[in-house]
Amino acid sequence: MNHFEVFELPRKLGIDTAELQRRFYALSRRWHPDFHQAAPPEAQARALEASARLNAAYRTLRDPIARVEYLVRLEEGRPTREGAAVGPTAPPELLEEMFEIQEALAEAKAGGLDADGHRRLAAERDRLVARHRDEEARLAGPLAAAWDAADAGERPRVLAACKQALATRAYLATVIDDLTEALGESQEGHVTHRRH
Amino acid sequence: MAYSDKVVDHYNNPRNVGSFTKDTPGVGTGLVGAPECGDVMKLQIKVNLDTGVIEDARFKTFGCGSAIASSSLATEWLKGKTVDEAGKIKNTDIVNELRLPPVKIHCSVLAEDAIKAALADYRDKHGDALAGAEAPTASA
Repeated sequence: MNHFEVFELPRKLGIDTAELQRRFYALSRRWHPDFHQAAPPEAQARALEASARLNAAYRTLRDPIARVEYLVRLEEGRPTREGAAVGPTAPPELLEEMFEIQEALAEAKAGGLDADGHRRLAAERDRLVARHRDEEARLAGPLAAAWDAADAGERPRVLAACKQALATRAYLATVIDDLTEALGESQEGHVTHRRH
Repeated sequence: MAYSDKVVDHYNNPRNVGSFTKDTPGVGTGLVGAPECGDVMKLQIKVNLDTGVIEDARFKTFGCGSAIASSSLATEWLKGKTVDEAGKIKNTDIVNELRLPPVKIHCSVLAEDAIKAALADYRDKHGDALAGAEAPTASA
């Protein structure tokens, strides 16, 4: 059962989150382990499983970006394990740009950051944060609407556009984190991405 | 996570870091990335236009230790190979050499993609003819 089916929703991106929350509460009550304590062990196990599935589905679908990510995975039917992923491709210009920013950042770090350099990096970071926000707005807005309106023939094209926007957002998040860290402004909560 | 000694070695002493000017005759450039982790990898080859042999290779990678080690190793392997031989390098060769754990296999895939992209760029610019007698890129 996929996350949309848990809520008996069609595979669409336009979801009324207030309505989603109402359904979540109703289903939570139905499956909460506390209400199944007197049931036979198999029924208890079933309730527990349904409860966990419900929580996972809610966590994903209430977030408009996670929702698109999930839809892409679902539509492609690909395993989510690393290594098996067919990487969504970002536009070549974006890669070029990310590379240049990383290069400039490495140079700035190597040379020590003076006040001017600090200001330049901060401005760059702010510019990228704005783009990151734009990309998310595009995913949650026009792209989600395009998916919902698309017929079967148009879907692959919309899905590809979603993947590209997700890839762009991921690259931007990394470079924003790297810039923020270099600026010494790292703070928990702001960090969306970490390398290991 | 425990990196293998070979990964640590390449990470601490990366081979062939740097870049060639893109438009130099014989140079092929591959720029690839992995959006899941935000890594970007640039790998370049410099081919002897008379022999079709890769004389030199460079890389610059912004990413995790395994991504750096994978591309560093790739540049070592590329040197001395013909363009055709270079196309046969597989990510699994890199995985075996560096003993990459399953969660790091995508780093080796990225390195293989970078090699392929560099070779494709070289072929684009110089044609497929191995004895590159007609290398028309030098406009200067």
